[in-house]
Amino acid sequence: MIYLDSAATSLLKPPEVLSAMKNAINTMASPGRGSYSAARLAADTVYECRELVCRLFHYDKPENVVFSMNATHALNIAIRSVVKKGDRVCVSGYEHNSVTRTLNAVGAEMLIAKSELFDREGTIKAFEKLIPKADAVVCNHVSNVFGFIMPVKEISELCRKYSVPFILDASQSAGIIDIDAVEMYASYIAMPGHKGLMGPQGTGILLCKSNPEPLMFGGTGSESINQLMPDSLPDMLEAGTHNVVGIAGLGEGIKYVLQNGAENIGKHEQRLCRFMASRLKTLEGVEVFYSEENQAGVLSIRHGSINSETLCEKLGENEVAARCGLHCSPFAHKSAGTLQTGTIRFSFSPFLDENDILNAFNIFKNLIICEKLINM
Amino acid sequence: MRYLIMCKSLTYAQRASRALESAGIKAHLLKAPAGLMSNGCGYCVSVSPFDAERAVGLLRAKNLPIGRIYLKKSDNSYQEVKL
Repeated sequence: MIYLDSAATSLLKPPEVLSAMKNAINTMASPGRGSYSAARLAADTVYECRELVCRLFHYDKPENVVFSMNATHALNIAIRSVVKKGDRVCVSGYEHNSVTRTLNAVGAEMLIAKSELFDREGTIKAFEKLIPKADAVVCNHVSNVFGFIMPVKEISELCRKYSVPFILDASQSAGIIDIDAVEMYASYIAMPGHKGLMGPQGTGILLCKSNPEPLMFGGTGSESINQLMPDSLPDMLEAGTHNVVGIAGLGEGIKYVLQNGAENIGKHEQRLCRFMASRLKTLEGVEVFYSEENQAGVLSIRHGSINSETLCEKLGENEVAARCGLHCSPFAHKSAGTLQTGTIRFSFSPFLDENDILNAFNIFKNLIICEKLINM
Repeated sequence: MRYLIMCKSLTYAQRASRALESAGIKAHLLKAPAGLMSNGCGYCVSVSPFDAERAVGLLRAKNLPIGRIYLKKSDNSYQEVKL
């Protein structure tokens, strides 16, 4: 199989991730539940992962690294800590449902900073207009549909200027773009563990630079008599048993990113994206959403007469994994004018090379030819 | 005899013990003995009497929040101390 769906989940992972998970399930219990070696080992593994997260994001407070189930969980904590009913929240036109549904559930009014796809300056201007009127700003770093790299440094500086809390959704950027959590003016940075950080599904991270509110309540192995959640991080946000097996795998995934460098991984994925885009552009009837600048290793396309679902299904039958539809991001599709058709999304990985991409492209090209012949 | 430095949580105790170890101070992370934590389960870092003052100073210098400090006597009783 040629796996081109790493924007959903990085199926291709360093082998150390699986080894660490096997070791954890065989040897580790739960942190903070005892003084026996299996509990201590679990505690050390979880803490080491917090430190690795700090190294990757140039952060210095491991206790403010909170483990969650995924980015959606982390974003829910962040948004519900910052945003109250009736608040006006400025978002980009490329947000995921993990942000927009949560804002909707809270009862916030969304101020959408509308901009053309890949228009960095237009995006900054749109945010500049709305941030002074906003109670909070939430923005993804990279669009999960189009790979559009948002100007989040500039947006965060505007938030700093107007003292507006900023939540960064790093779902598609963690592990492929260097993020300095100290430098970035952000109250929270949310991310999944199972995409660019190479960890397993069921892991996520919330970097807290502000005082959050618990989303879940329960045991923490600390202050047990107190019927309120502890007031300190990470216990305040980590009720219940940790996903130690997942966190052990995530730690190895982060080590891989640290060893290879997030920027290098990101550049490799961008090269593959450019390679694929340049070939797809040669196909008649294929619209390629590509920009030489401001695009990470995520590529959307659509065909003028063959629908995305049919093509994706055929790709799957031919062992090419891609994702079609709206990618849980109707706002992004609306902004790019693809809401009615959806797109086929190809996303790349450090474990792929040009040969893999060329093979996937040839399969895709043949599918289009076959579909056209059938429909003649 | 050992000195026990109370910490807000397991994570803070881990951070404290690693900070002490990296400064060459032998530190053990322990579950806090019953009765020393007003709210139930907690964690502490245990250091030798020779290192106690330096350890506390180092944790304060690093702005790591610490709670009360106890001296564990040879008869296994605890006495709160100020350092």
